[in-house]
Amino acid sequence: MADDAGRRPGGHIGQPHVRIDGRAKVTGQARYPADEPTTNPAWAYLVISAIARGRIRGMQLEAARAVPGVLDILNHANVGQEVKSPMGPDGKPTTTTLESDRVWHDGQIVAVVVADSFEAAREAAYKVVVDYEAETPSATFDSPGVQAEALKTDATHSYPLKGDAAAAFAAAPVKLDARYETPTQHHNPLELFTTTCVWDGPKLTIYEPTQSMWGLKAAVARQLGLDLVNVRTVSRFAGGGFGGKGAPTSRTAWIAVAARRVKRPVKLVPTRDQGFTIATYRAETQHHIQLGAERSGRLLALSHEGWEISSRPSSYNVSGTTTTARMYACPNIATKVSVVHADRNTPGFMRAPPDTPYMFPLECAMDELAHELGIDPIELRRINDTQTDPVDGKPYSSRSLMKCFDAAAAKFGWARRNPQPGSMRDGDWLVGYGCATSCYPSNIGPATARLSLTPQGKAAIQLAGHEIGTGAYTLMAIVVADRLGLAVEDVQVTMGDSDLPPVPGAGGSNNAASTTNVAAKACEEIRHKLALAAVQAGAGIFAGADPAGLKLADRALVGPGGRREPLATAVSRISSGAIEVHVENVPQGLAPDAAAALYQGKMSMSRGAERKDVTAFAFGAQFVEVRVHRRTCEIRAPRAVSAFAAGTIVNPLAAHSQYQGGAIWGISSALHEATEIDRRVARYVNDNIADYLIPVNADIGEMDVIFVPEEDHRVNPLGIKGIGEIGIVGMNAAVANAVFHATGRRIRKLPIRIEDLL
Amino acid sequence: MELTLNINGRDHRLSLDPRTTLLDALRDHIGLTGSKKGCDQGQCGACTVHLEGRRVLACLTLAATVQGRPVTTVEGLAHGEALHPMQAAFITHDAFQCGYCTPGQLMSAVACVHEGHARNDDAIREYMSGNLCRCGAYPKIVAAIRDAAPQMAPKTGRV
Ligand code: FES
Ligand code: FES
Repeated sequence: MADDAGRRPGGHIGQPHVRIDGRAKVTGQARYPADEPTTNPAWAYLVISAIARGRIRGMQLEAARAVPGVLDILNHANVGQEVKSPMGPDGKPTTTTLESDRVWHDGQIVAVVVADSFEAAREAAYKVVVDYEAETPSATFDSPGVQAEALKTDATHSYPLKGDAAAAFAAAPVKLDARYETPTQHHNPLELFTTTCVWDGPKLTIYEPTQSMWGLKAAVARQLGLDLVNVRTVSRFAGGGFGGKGAPTSRTAWIAVAARRVKRPVKLVPTRDQGFTIATYRAETQHHIQLGAERSGRLLALSHEGWEISSRPSSYNVSGTTTTARMYACPNIATKVSVVHADRNTPGFMRAPPDTPYMFPLECAMDELAHELGIDPIELRRINDTQTDPVDGKPYSSRSLMKCFDAAAAKFGWARRNPQPGSMRDGDWLVGYGCATSCYPSNIGPATARLSLTPQGKAAIQLAGHEIGTGAYTLMAIVVADRLGLAVEDVQVTMGDSDLPPVPGAGGSNNAASTTNVAAKACEEIRHKLALAAVQAGAGIFAGADPAGLKLADRALVGPGGRREPLATAVSRISSGAIEVHVENVPQGLAPDAAAALYQGKMSMSRGAERKDVTAFAFGAQFVEVRVHRRTCEIRAPRAVSAFAAGTIVNPLAAHSQYQGGAIWGISSALHEATEIDRRVARYVNDNIADYLIPVNADIGEMDVIFVPEEDHRVNPLGIKGIGEIGIVGMNAAVANAVFHATGRRIRKLPIRIEDLL
Repeated sequence: MELTLNINGRDHRLSLDPRTTLLDALRDHIGLTGSKKGCDQGQCGACTVHLEGRRVLACLTLAATVQGRPVTTVEGLAHGEALHPMQAAFITHDAFQCGYCTPGQLMSAVACVHEGHARNDDAIREYMSGNLCRCGAYPKIVAAIRDAAPQMAPKTGRV
């Protein structure tokens, strides 16, 4: 049964289901980490650096200490030795905080004030005076003093090379050669980056919103020199993640140290602006693309070179050339990426980390090439579509790209598009239609879970999973109900606590594939036990039957011909109470000890672009209508249509929200979001969510989503590809292409704003 | 300072730093953590509550200024087990993902209807634009309000 497709006739998988945690979320009962009741907490308030590069000469703390209620002020002089430096999102060294007097970036944590009340801690923090020895910082690309580092292939990134792209480009009858830029962006989840630490003897409990319960646990244990068993992380709900809560940050260990020093729970609710520098972000990128093609549109050469910003000590990078090299059939491919080190905080994962910034230039370039050739942009993709990976010739596990284009084009009304730029108008508005390919690699990791089933037909599944808005609780309930033949309401799901069996962090859209496949495996184990006992029993209707032929459906063990034995009878044959299993799942291609390694906080991942057997990606096509006002150049995006094929969809209701939310992120990324940097001081200027623009309700119009059916028997047993990130990937380029179609102006730098069109 | 706050029909006697906001009073002193802190500076709407039936941002309201004036939070929307029609509509339409903006969206949505601003989709979008949703649930929030509005009783003293 392990290799059947995800959906079964009459099952719950694929049926829309409202969220089982919906009631908790609409009544205010859902507990985000800062909502957990804490007895007599002290409050922490962060002091962050006012310079971007240099050293701390000293601090004047008298005025701060004199504030009534102040309990402690942590700084490098009094606690610097107590914590090992954290690792960055790539598991390698990153910027430090209180460990030394060094300032790596603006807004770095330099002191932590602890007081009896939030108000006192805040007042005292503003009274801390820091004496700096400041040096001139380098802010970003082209700032004096930045250092470029060309990257080499490593465990997570490769730089595909094939044929001779330079020669093929030189000889190509049609050439496109262009440079593109994407901006700095911050996740700005609506929830702040809170941390509460509580000690009970040697045991530390951390309430902190995270996308990686076990990753955070292991990181803090290492930093504080604690046994893993003595650290527990709790995050039952996270108020949005988007990658920003994927990697541990330096704040957590200091709050733990603070709690140990004041012998009370300590609670930190940092400010919105502090979130811009104490956590990660999407770094700005630059790209150089060269496409060479035949007059027919067939690609002859693709060259993609990228540059990304990182901090001084970290080479964190996203290297999306792993993806762009695989999009279209092309005999000659060259890719290269460099990290440019500046005096900045270390970037990290942000929704489709590699694909969002790297697909933008490729998909704009394809649109430019189509225009040059006089070929419809959809047809150019069709001409270069492929069912085998252009880099190494592996088959795609499934690739429904053109089905997505055709479905979205029909719904969008692409046929009404006059290809001539600037030709479509509605009163004072110039109307443009644009489209682009979307994609995301299908990743899956090892996972563990505990599952029980009572004779009354109640199931409970437990795992250290993450609900960051994806509908993870409901996903688990649907799969268990489907496989055990129960109602969704009969399944209790417990997650968000590292005392539960570990699963990988919720990132790289692996969560659905990783957790549903382990859940299905646990259900199969229970079915198998019940079936085996039933056929081996001396009496009973299935005595002597083939256990493989018995299924669980409608609270019964059901055999061929529809013969049924009630669940209560089947379960009681094995146990006087509930039957329980603990299951580990290691996906194909990963080391056999990959599940065991989870218990050490070590996570491995089978990545869709780097599998040995197949190349596994979800694909989509995104279309958008853009309107540019003839006089004011105001840009609106009143409607968009996105079609995706991502294998088995477990819960179409929540999946629709994920896709739609992703597409809204794409509109936002194309037209709204950018962190502005003051180049003289390497400081983020718009570090609040009024000046960091994200769409409000009135900015968003019709956002259609189409599910293109796809059955993928090779990607993983349930046929699940991730869907959390693909929604954003193609929208940037679709918008830019639509702006070109509306105005004839090709804007190669995001976000596109009024001033770009004046 | 000593003061009494009336929250969801119940009086709470508190001793607070005079600088305490209504949001922090609710969350950290009364234990009603439904109202959320997304910015603490009036930009996101996650802390929206009703003060005397009108929507206000609890992070920009000092607790001391609302003594004796009835406050309703998301915890006060349902009547026992029976959800407010707006809460039910949010669930049906999947009008949230992470749920962090949801308490504020709900309080604004109920007020939006009572204010007479739920006449059409464009009006809903406009009058719901003070509540950010980073997950991008906007189209579904609009759909939920459109659905719930006719089921809501005309405004009485309390929502
Ligand atoms: S927390 Fe009050 S508006 Fe954001
Ligand atoms: S549901 Fe996550 S911010 Fe709105």
